[in-house]
Parts: sequence; structure tokens; C-alpha cells
Amino acid sequence: MVCRAALLMKNNQSDQHYDVIIIGAGATGAGTARDCAMRGLKVLLVERFDFTAGATGRNHGLLHSGARYAVTDRESAAECIRENMILRKIARHCVEETGGIFVTLPDDDLAYQATFVEACRNAGIEAEIIDPAEARRIEPAVNPDIIGAVKVPDGAVDPFRLTTANAIAAQRNGAHILTYHEVTALNISHQRVCGVTLRDQRTGGSRRVDADLVINAAGIWGHGICRLAGVDVNMFPAKGALLIFGHRVNNIVINRCRKPADADILVPGDTISLIGTTSSRIPYDQVDNMEVTPEEVDILLREGSRIAPSLATTRILRAYAGVRPLVASDDDPSGRSISRGIVCLDHALRDGLEGFITITGGKLMTYRLMAEWATDMACRKLGRSEKCRTATTPLPGSDKSDKDAPVSHGKRHIIELTTDHKAALGRHGSMTPDIGLDTNNDALVCECEEVSVGEIRYAVRKLHANNLVNLRRRTRLGMGTCQGCLCASRAAAILGDELNDRPHALRDLCNFLNERWKGMFPVAWGQTLVEAQFSSWLYKGVCGLDPQLIPSGQGHTTETPTHPVANPGNPDRKNSEQ
Amino acid sequence: MEYQVKNISRDNFEQCIKCTICTVYCPVLSVNPLYPGPKQAGPDGERYRLKAPEFYDKALKMCLNCKRCEVACPSGVRIGDIIQNARIRYDRHPVSLRDRMLASTDEMGAVATKIAPVVNTMLRLGPVKTLMHHIVGIDSRRTFPAYASQTFEHWMNSGAPDQNPFRRQVSYFHGCYVNYNNPALGRDFVTLMNAIGYGVRLLEHERCCGVAKIANRLIGQARRDAEKNLHAIRNSVADGRIVLGTSSTCIFTMRDEYPHILHLDNHDVRDSILLATRFIHQLVDAGNVRLVFRREWKKRVAYHVPCHMQRMGWAVHSLELLKMIPGLELIPIEPGCCGISGTYGFKKENYATSQAVGAELFDSIRGAGVDIVASDCETCKWQIEMSAGVPVENPVSILASALDIDATRRANDI
Amino acid sequence: MKYDSIIIGGGLSGLTAGIRLVSAGKKVAIITSGQSALHFSSGSMSLLNRIDGRQVCDPLQAIATLPPSHPYQKIGVGNIHDFAAEATMILRRAGLDVEGSPEAHRYCLTPFGVWQPAWLTVKDIASCSHPSRCTWRKAAIVNFKGYLDFHPGYLADGLATAGIASESYEIELPQLAALRKSCSGMRAASMARILEGKAVSDLAQAIRKIKSDADVLLLPAVVGLRSDAPANLLASLVDITVRYVPVIPMSVTGVRAEFLMRRRFESLGGAYFLGDSVNKGNFENNRLISVNTVNLGETPLRADEFLIATGSFFSQGLVAKPDAVIEPVFGLDVVQSEKRTSRCDIDFFAPQPYMRFGVVTDSRFRVSRNGSVVTNLRAVGSILSGADSLNEGSGAGIALLTAVAAARQILQ
Repeated sequence: MVCRAALLMKNNQSDQHYDVIIIGAGATGAGTARDCAMRGLKVLLVERFDFTAGATGRNHGLLHSGARYAVTDRESAAECIRENMILRKIARHCVEETGGIFVTLPDDDLAYQATFVEACRNAGIEAEIIDPAEARRIEPAVNPDIIGAVKVPDGAVDPFRLTTANAIAAQRNGAHILTYHEVTALNISHQRVCGVTLRDQRTGGSRRVDADLVINAAGIWGHGICRLAGVDVNMFPAKGALLIFGHRVNNIVINRCRKPADADILVPGDTISLIGTTSSRIPYDQVDNMEVTPEEVDILLREGSRIAPSLATTRILRAYAGVRPLVASDDDPSGRSISRGIVCLDHALRDGLEGFITITGGKLMTYRLMAEWATDMACRKLGRSEKCRTATTPLPGSDKSDKDAPVSHGKRHIIELTTDHKAALGRHGSMTPDIGLDTNNDALVCECEEVSVGEIRYAVRKLHANNLVNLRRRTRLGMGTCQGCLCASRAAAILGDELNDRPHALRDLCNFLNERWKGMFPVAWGQTLVEAQFSSWLYKGVCGLDPQLIPSGQGHTTETPTHPVANPGNPDRKNSEQ
Repeated sequence: MEYQVKNISRDNFEQCIKCTICTVYCPVLSVNPLYPGPKQAGPDGERYRLKAPEFYDKALKMCLNCKRCEVACPSGVRIGDIIQNARIRYDRHPVSLRDRMLASTDEMGAVATKIAPVVNTMLRLGPVKTLMHHIVGIDSRRTFPAYASQTFEHWMNSGAPDQNPFRRQVSYFHGCYVNYNNPALGRDFVTLMNAIGYGVRLLEHERCCGVAKIANRLIGQARRDAEKNLHAIRNSVADGRIVLGTSSTCIFTMRDEYPHILHLDNHDVRDSILLATRFIHQLVDAGNVRLVFRREWKKRVAYHVPCHMQRMGWAVHSLELLKMIPGLELIPIEPGCCGISGTYGFKKENYATSQAVGAELFDSIRGAGVDIVASDCETCKWQIEMSAGVPVENPVSILASALDIDATRRANDI
Repeated sequence: MKYDSIIIGGGLSGLTAGIRLVSAGKKVAIITSGQSALHFSSGSMSLLNRIDGRQVCDPLQAIATLPPSHPYQKIGVGNIHDFAAEATMILRRAGLDVEGSPEAHRYCLTPFGVWQPAWLTVKDIASCSHPSRCTWRKAAIVNFKGYLDFHPGYLADGLATAGIASESYEIELPQLAALRKSCSGMRAASMARILEGKAVSDLAQAIRKIKSDADVLLLPAVVGLRSDAPANLLASLVDITVRYVPVIPMSVTGVRAEFLMRRRFESLGGAYFLGDSVNKGNFENNRLISVNTVNLGETPLRADEFLIATGSFFSQGLVAKPDAVIEPVFGLDVVQSEKRTSRCDIDFFAPQPYMRFGVVTDSRFRVSRNGSVVTNLRAVGSILSGADSLNEGSGAGIALLTAVAAARQILQ
């Protein structure tokens, strides 16, 4: 079988000149690629690891109403609610319209509620004060002692799905995508960025790609990209830790109605609930190496249990942390009072360097707007006049009504639709029929999250997945209760076959198990430790897996780059995420 | 840290570590691959159902509710309860007439016993069976238990020996089967209890335990009956009479399904609801009671552990008592579910599954060459008698028939 | 109810001790909360494969170098050989046809094609005295269509390391096709239930159709849930030698081992309380007098001697709370780390400190409670502290040998 990633590379090699190169395939980068491609630009999206490997994959997955920022940052709040409403339309398959509440606990100041509601209304956010009893009725998990509650249009958004959908949209509009390609240099000539030098993480090979314009959408790592260009954008890395609970504790987003602080948002997302976050400043050199500390776990549990008491006794699947890519403006030690506003820099104006744009700041919620600003700036610089259509064009997966999607009933007469089929529909929306869930494809690989063989193959063939962490982001493989214990071996075998590279798949299996374990490690008690022991027995014992005994191979990226790289950080491997 | 000292979740579903042991011991999965199996139907499915009720899978109705998954689970997950609760919570289909009929053991029995000969004849007639099969959906291959023409309650109120002289008293939860179909078992129970010095009373207004109504999602009715039963049980316990039964399923339902499925708190009386064999064995084991058996009574007996008996863990009591009968030769048979699971096996869509589940057990029984099979569950009795062709008796009846009543009375100073 | 000995835990160790005691005429009860971790064993049992990450060639010699706190040292190095022979007999008499000796490893293929040392292997499991001396020239690897837990490619790679050629085939049996109607249908135990009688004849027919010059045929170990009869039937119907390779658990071989051992125990008169858990111990003067269980409520189970064989974390023999690891049945003293943070290593494949946790025992496996030895309560198997059985490859050996040792002590 021909390796899909290699095929993709080959195609790209014939097109060495682009209108625009976008660095970073988080939500912002993928969104920018989509916008640029939809406006007719010739686009290359490069990413040093995988889609969503940075901050995009390490947040709450909250479809902010903006209410959280209403009091402190009206502009951000207004942006949030506008984007919130847009995403509900264009990204239906990534969004869960759960609604949200802001609750006041007995020792919180109820007077803040009035300020809060007023600020929400000023920002255009529907905020309705409801009786605490009504709040308890609509969300039984909430602390029964609450003294106030406000309903807001929060929701949940799956950042993995959202980013993948943007990347697919970009590709459908002609963009090229290179994952596992790291930018090692910006090629500058006569005060103008005219392309990038890329290193292929698979082969270690290096090459130059030319473009009229380079957009830096690398999030916190954009700081380093700017350095490559000799310009300085002072980013402020603020770490936020979160905990994932084993099932949906709540079905409505619960926020604490106070000035933003630790662990005051509980978000239901897919089959789990997430509490977060903490906030602590970390040195820039630590952004690739984050561990959740016992103190952070304790804070999250203590504060989280105040919003929803059952968190104190609910199984925790894992802990992870992300870095907020904020642009520093002062020395605020908490990082919270910094504006979450969008920063779009034309380095020609700012630093006298042509052909280079940095888009940063902002947040997951405003990724599309960030992309729009960056693309507007790019079009201006390139002398193009096409208008942005991303706010009204549905993303792939949300582009047809679910009812239009032909559904194969297979042989199961008694069951109208199997759970894995329903789960796949939730994940891929109207793209689900492409998976082809027939009897040869619907066997379950991951039973916790109902991921079938067909879905795994589809992700490898169509969604730029070439290792298990990629597969997890595309399909939720290994994100459930067993954290990969039962499914990782099956997925690794399929991956080995699909890529025709068994040693790679085996090494990758080891890496995947390590990546899963890293998130379980800070919460290794109760059934989570049991699960880890079970996993150890299976893989180290029954399978005899030992990463040191696996022959090294070539050609595919595991989560540890085959060749040592200048920047040792590999968030895929070192930092756990959902 | 004060947090996370315990993990609590509905029916322990979060204790599941996905080891899949339960799937090895599920009798349905082994014969019907269309059933998703206890793990998928139970804890796995529960995570999805908590996300959206649309993830409810109708295939859950294939669960027998035998609880063998719970017995097998090393993590204490109440898998069977998760599945039953999901059926009740999410299945929005109206309960069919057939299911209502099957579930209403109490109401149907009350009518049928009045005209027992007619009903019994009718239920054996081919055309009636065919009609029931096609119109109602009750499988024509199924043999119905015959109705008695006099209820057990009637006998207790009019024909039974005087229970007043006994210093110690118990209440008897006879269940629908003893009342309407097999009063003889009830009489055996009274004989046995009287022989060891206990008088037997009826509960005031006993209702069906509710197992069939729970299985058929008639939860409102089941809860009303259960509340009445709990009220009667509390009164009985307050009067110093614990409550004994001879049906493992009735007892299991009142002890465990009431709190877990009907969400009725019974903790104050749960320990006072016992199977007769457990009560008697405890007395014998503690040396408080002696049983004397007739020497000439000789039979080869196989003991079949009903699923709910297995779940309660009380088979040891029935078995130890049977072993005390000198003339009883105990023949081992393969353990396993008989497949009927109450009303489940009567439904035409389940007949094949039901018989396939029990096939191994029937073979084992036929091969054992026994005179009788002992079993604490009446629906196991119907199934085994019909499918293996060997008579099945409740251990209480076997004990009563082997008992030397006078000698036992003397041994216990009655 | 009164027994001579009560064993809490019905896994490999508990069943072995139970069979040993009941064979000696004792009245024995085993109380077990659910089925055991045997269900995840590979079908091969190791004595000692590694010390500190180094491969062990001669297990008996290597055992002598273990620290005094190690369960093998408590058994007594001089006893290992005899107890190993006794454990082997116990397994064989239960109907589990094992081969091997403690003097030299056998080598078995794992599901990912790694050659792993073992002390005992169940008959028909693919194994040899050493990969370099394997007599096979060429293997035909056969999988069933739609089965995801058996990986012919990895096996081929593993065979190649031993210089064995291979080719892969896929068989589609109509009987198994029914399982594929369900998306989680093709799992080992479900397949094993079907692969009996007629299905085995059909399988044999399909195998006979394979035109290969291979001298061995490797099948996933999904045959024979309760006995080796289906495997024997298949062997009688085909000309080629058939060997089985363990799959990603559920392990059919493990299920069979537990079934046979339980049946042996019960047929000798042992009482087996499945699905029940001890929730209280009644102690008097550092002796355990009786236990209460969840199912039997206030009815105590009394015995002269008790064994606790409740396993490690997986079987809830040990329970990790955020700040402490406890033994949940009796609150026995546990060897553990001081802090939550030192419980684990962040590298999944590194030795994990928690694997060494377990109950404190004296030289005769007697546990202690609040610092005092309980004179009639012994611990056996993976609940014991002092060994990282996973990294050592000593889990089955410790389970079997400590069970024999404790049973002998009780019988003395």
C-alpha cells in the first residue's frame, strides 16, 4: 500500500511556490488556511506535529457565550457571542448546544450577579437570571446550595473536530497541508520573508518552500517563529490545568459567577466532563514540557467540588494542561487580566519586515475571526479583493443535514442504528457515509468511545492521521474509560497494515501508551490506577512490549521524532491532552 | 486529601475497567450475537446515554436480567441493574398488551384460579396456542404452568392446621406461583416450619413481588405493589415475624431490585426478608434446630442454582440442607442459566434464545440420570420440566417429603 | 458455617491453595468477588524472567540472589524445585496440560511476536525450548476474517527473528460470520464458544484446503473455553501440527485454566462462593476467628486457618486512595510509598513503584495488622509485597509457589 502521507508530500513537491504559507495547524492556522483557500489563494499549511497538537487540543472545549469576559473585557465578550452564533451554524457537528449557567455560591457576592448580567447585555449576550431552584432542576449536578443563577448561551465545542473540519475545507479549496514539518528558518531576503525552510520530521530532510507571504499562526510557539525572523513578540505563557471525569457529570456548562478564578468552569463534552482551569505563569522554555502538579489537582478538585459536589467522588480519567497564547502587555502574575483580544500584526508596519504576518492572542472561540483578520490583511498585502465567506459557509461535516446523509442499516434489523454508527455521526457529521460502515468495517476497535475499524481506516486515509495520537484526535480512540488499554493494540495493528510499517506502529503503540499514562499519572488512584495496572499487564506482560527492543524504522512519525531536532519539545509526546 | 477517597456512580458503572469478563459469562451473548453484551449494553452504553438518550439501544431488551455479569464482575459493577434501569429510563415504546398480560401474574392468577379447569384445558389446546402465538405473541411451543383451583391463601385461611400454638412465628411470602399454581409447595413449607416449631402467617395483603412487572417496564404498578409489600413486611417485622419465601426470585426482587431498580429504600427490613432454606440452614448450623429424615427416602437429585440464587450467593444453604438427607444422592450438573428468565421465554421473539441458553443445562440434566432436579425458582422449574423432561421440585418440598415429621418434632421438643 | 480453611480470593493462587488443602482432606471454602485475573493470562506461566531488567537464564540459580523480602526467599530457595513440581502436578490433575520445568525456560510467542520466556506452557500453545533451536522451518499463520485481536504480521516478524519463514492466510467460517453481525461480536470467548464440534470440522476442512509446505500452523488461541477437546478434535482432523498463539485478552486459555481448577476444587468437595466478598473479619488475640460476607450477612464463616489471595489492585486486593494504599478486607499493614507522587514513574515502561506494594508478611507469609502478626491468616499471590512480578516475570510462579508453601504450612 502506498503511504498516504508520502503521496501527499509528492504532490506538494511539484508546487514549490505559494501565495501564502501558514505556520501552525491549530484552530487558527487551519481556519486561516480555509479562509485563504476559499478566497482563491494558493495555500500551504505547515505544522510541526499534528493538527491541534498545541493549545487547541488542551483547553476546555467550551463554546463560550462570552459571558465570562463580559465584566472584564467587553470587546472579547462581544466577539465571543458573535462567533458562538456563527459556529452553531457552520460547525453543527462540532458543537453541542448545551446552554450554560453562571452560579453564585453562598460565599460569593450575589451583588456581582447584577454587574455581570448588565455587562452581558451590553456585550449582546442573552443573560437571564433564573431561580436557583430552576437551575437545580435543569442541571441536577449543580451545588444545591447556590444562591443565584444566570442562564447564558454557552455550549461545548470539540476543538479536534473543528480544526480537522477547517483543514479538510482548506484542502477541498486547493490548499496543501504538511503535518510533521517543522519550520526551521524563515527565508528572508531584502527585508522580506519569501518562504520557509522545512524539516520533515519523518526523514529529517530539509527543504525550502517559497511564498509571497508567511502567516505565523503558531500560538505560543509563534514567539519562536518570530525569533526566527529576528522580531520580538513578547508572549506570555500561562499554564492552565484541567481534569477529565469519566462520564458526563453535568449536561449544562456550569460557571461560577465571580471574577474569573481557578477551576470555575465545568464543561460537558462528548462522553465526559471537564473542570478547569488553574492559571500560573511558566517560563517560556517550559511550554513544551508541562506536568500537572498534585497541587493543581487538589485545587481543581477542591474548587470544582464546590460547583458540582459529585466531582469529589467521580472517577477522574486524566489530567492535562495547556498554555494560553496571550500577548504580554504587563507583568500581571496571574495572566488573567491580560486581554484575550486578537492580535494581528503586520510586521512590515511594526518591524519593517515585509511578507510576514503574526496572528495570535484570541482564543478558540474566535479562531474564525482571527483567521478572517489575518486573511483580510493577507489579501490586502497581496492585492486581492475577495471577501470572507467563512462565517456563512458550513464546514465539511456540517454541510448537509444529517437526514440527507445516507445511513447504511447493515444487517441489523432490530437495531435502527448501532451505537458506533451514532457515535461516528456525532464525530463526522455529514462526512460519516464516507466511512462506509458495513459488516467489514463496523467492528469496534475502541469500545469505550465506539470507534470502528472503518473509522480508523478513514482517519488514516482521509484525515492526515499517521499515528495513534493523531487517530485519537480524529476519532476519540483511547479517550474513554480504559484510556487505550483495550483498543490501542487493535488500532496499532490496523495502523501497521495501513501504513505498511509494523515497527513504526509498534513504536507508536509504546508512545501512545506513554502519552495516555502521562495524563493518568497525576490522578493515579482508585480505578484509574487499576486501569493502569491492567494496561501494564496486557502490554508489558502478555504482549511483552518493550520500546527498547523494537527495531527502528524509517518513514513515519511516531510521537517522538525519529531524528533529534533543534527544539526538543514535542507536545504530542511530552504533554498529555484530552 | 479529602476528595476522591471513594468513587461513587450510579450502579457503580464507573468502577468498570473494561476488562470484558462479564461478556464471557453472559448467557444471551453466547447464543445471540445481536445482543451487544453486558459491557456494551451496561457501563459502556451508559456513558453514551448520559450524553444523549438517543443512544439507547433497543437491543437491551434481550437482556435476561440473570445478573450473571454482576456475579462475574471483579469490580463490583451492577451491570444488570444498569441495563434494567436504562430500559426503564429510556425505552419510550408503550408496553404491549401481551407484556401486560404476562407481567400481571397476580391479576391473571386471581381470575384463572376461579375457573382453573377451563383455563388449564384452554391453555393446552392447539388452536388456542396458535392464536396466542400469532395474535398475542406468546410462543405456542411453551407449556403453561397449570392453575390450581384453590389458592394457597384460601387454604391458609380455611384448611391449614392451626398456627396459633407455635411460640415462634414467621410470615410467609408465598408469591404468585405458590398461590395460584402450586399451593402444594406452600403446604410443604408450612409442614416443614411447623415441624421445627415455627408457626406460619400470611402477610397482610401480599402483592406480587413485581419481578415480571419490572422486566416488562410496568414500573408504576411494580412500585405500588412493592410499597404495599414493604408496608406489610415492616408490620410483620415489627410484630417479631421475619418474612420467609420459597422463591429465590421473589426474595431477590424484594431485597435487591426494590432499592436498585424501583429505588425504594428497604434497608430497615432487607435483612428480615429471607429465603426459607437460608433461615432453616442457619438454625441448623447454629445447633438450634435438628432435622430428622426418613431412612427409606432415596432419590438421585441434581441441584440447579437459579441465576438470582447465584446472585444472592445463597445456594450453599439449599445445598447444605439437601446434603443432610441421608437418602439423597447429589449428582453434579453443569451450572448455567436455564434461559426462561420469568416472562422472557414466553415471548415468541425470545423463544429460540431462551431454549438455546438452556440447551447445555438440559443436556447435562438429561445425562445425569436423576429422579428430580432441585431448584429454588419456579420459572426454572417450568423451563427444565418442559425442556429436559425431568421433574423439578423446590428444596423445601424435597426436605418436607424426606422429613420424618414426628421425629423432627421430638428432636426439637415440639 | 465452619471450615478448616477459608481462602479469600479465587484466582490462580487461591485455587491452587484450595486444591492442595482439599486434596489433603480439609474442609475448604473459597470466597471470590468475581472472576479472576487468570482471564488475562497468556496461557504460559513464568517463574523468574528478569532481575533489575536483566534476563535470567537459570531461574533457580537467580532466585537465590533475590533479597530476603522477596516471596521466593520466604518460600526458601531449597524448596522452590519441589514446590514447583507440586504446583505442576496440581495444574495437571485439574486437567490443564502444562509442560516445562523450573530448570530452563521455554519460549512462547506473544500476540506481538515477541519470544517470551516461560516456566510452564499449556499444551498446544506455540512454544519451543529456545527460538534459535526451534524446529519449525516455515509456519502458516491463519487468522479468522474480521478478528482484530490477532496480528499475523507481527507474528511473522517474530518468527523471522528466529529464522522461521511464514505465510499468512485468512479463513472465513460461516459459523463465525454470525458473530460479525455485532460490532463487538468477534471476541475471543465468543469465538471459542462457537468453535466446537461441527465448526471445528469445518475449520479443519478449511485448513486442509491451504496448500502450504509449512510444518506448523499457527492459530489464534480462541479454541477450548472449557477443555482441550476442540483442540484435540482439530488436531485429529488435520495433517499439519497446529499450535496456538495467545491473543489480546480475553484469554481463552486463561478462562479454561480457571474453569478447570474451580471444577477440580469443587469435585474434591471444596465450597466455592462466587460473587461474594468478605466485608468483615472477627479477630481475637491476633487470630482471625471468622469472616462475614456481603451475601451471607450476619452468618459468619468460621475457620481455623485463613488465606488471603485477593490479588493486587486489579482484583481489589489493594486499593489506592489518593493519599494511601490500603488492604480493604481487613485493613492489613501494607508496604507502600510515603507520598502520592512517588507511587508511579512517569515512564509507562519503567518499573512502577506501586507494583511492589503489597501486604506485610513474616517469613511464614503471616500478615500483620496494626503491627501485630495475625497467626492464622496468610497471604499468597500477588497481594504480597516485595516483588515487582510484572517486571520480573514472576507473577504466576509467586502465585503458585506461595500457595503451595502456605498450604503446606497449614497442613504441618
